[in-house]
Amino acid sequence: MTEAVSRALMVIVLHCHGASRREWAHAMRAEFDVAAADGKPFAFAAGCLFAAWGGMLKLPEGRHVVATYAIALGLLIPIAAFQFALALGFSSIFAGVGAFSGFLVPGASDNPMLAWSQLGAVPCLLALWLVLGMAHLRLAWVLIERDWARVVSVSAFIGAVLATLFILMTTLLLDVTFVILQAAVMVIEVMALLIAARQQTRLLLNSGSEISAI
Amino acid sequence: MLILLGALAAKSQQWRHGYDLMKETGLSSGTLYPLLMRMADKGLIESEWREPAQLGRPARHAYRLTTAGIALARANERSSAAALGRGVFA
Repeated sequence: MTEAVSRALMVIVLHCHGASRREWAHAMRAEFDVAAADGKPFAFAAGCLFAAWGGMLKLPEGRHVVATYAIALGLLIPIAAFQFALALGFSSIFAGVGAFSGFLVPGASDNPMLAWSQLGAVPCLLALWLVLGMAHLRLAWVLIERDWARVVSVSAFIGAVLATLFILMTTLLLDVTFVILQAAVMVIEVMALLIAARQQTRLLLNSGSEISAI
Repeated sequence: MLILLGALAAKSQQWRHGYDLMKETGLSSGTLYPLLMRMADKGLIESEWREPAQLGRPARHAYRLTTAGIALARANERSSAAALGRGVFA
């Protein structure tokens, strides 16, 4: 069991090292077999992992990887979880009509003329919040993959879904506070993604100038 | 780094493996490898892949001091000896 965990750690070590340190990662991997034969695989692997993380933070490439993971794990995935929670809030409406009044604009009373439309829109709203949540998970994935073309398309999709939610909820006299909050969060997301993209552009430019210098 | 430098300087012509250096110096892998990387970046050590003594085992990375590394190790020994001498006669 310990050796299996240690081997898994060594796989992470291999992936933590950039191209410039890939040979060192292979060197550590080769020594791991000797450490395992000596009965100390975990201590060796854990040390290599700490060395890899420390090395990552010293290199621009490593800092960029850490930044993209921080945005994905610290911002996008919690937002996705929040949106799934909101979708669950909508789904509770199916348990009773009385729960729906919580989603109306404050001060607005139940309007029997609108009630049918509002209740009829609930499955659509539920689906849109779920789609938003899944889109954020997809955005986190393509960001980690550094597939910038898909980052742009998924971000545009999220913007379109938010706009649709806003129009739909405003029309039905539903409380749009959460949608406005989501739009504000999206501005933060876009800023974070722009910073990450700019960081990658700088890395590519620097590596390009190094190649031309050689 | 001085401990590692001393260990490498003790057998300066011999290629040394990472795990053997760990056992000899008492340094952990988390300390040893960053030091080896830094020393390689500064041109103090050279490295190469060496075939293992046992068949069927993968090749291992080995290290030894360069001329610059040997010079640094000797300079370090001299300064340590001088500091020790001053301490004895103080």
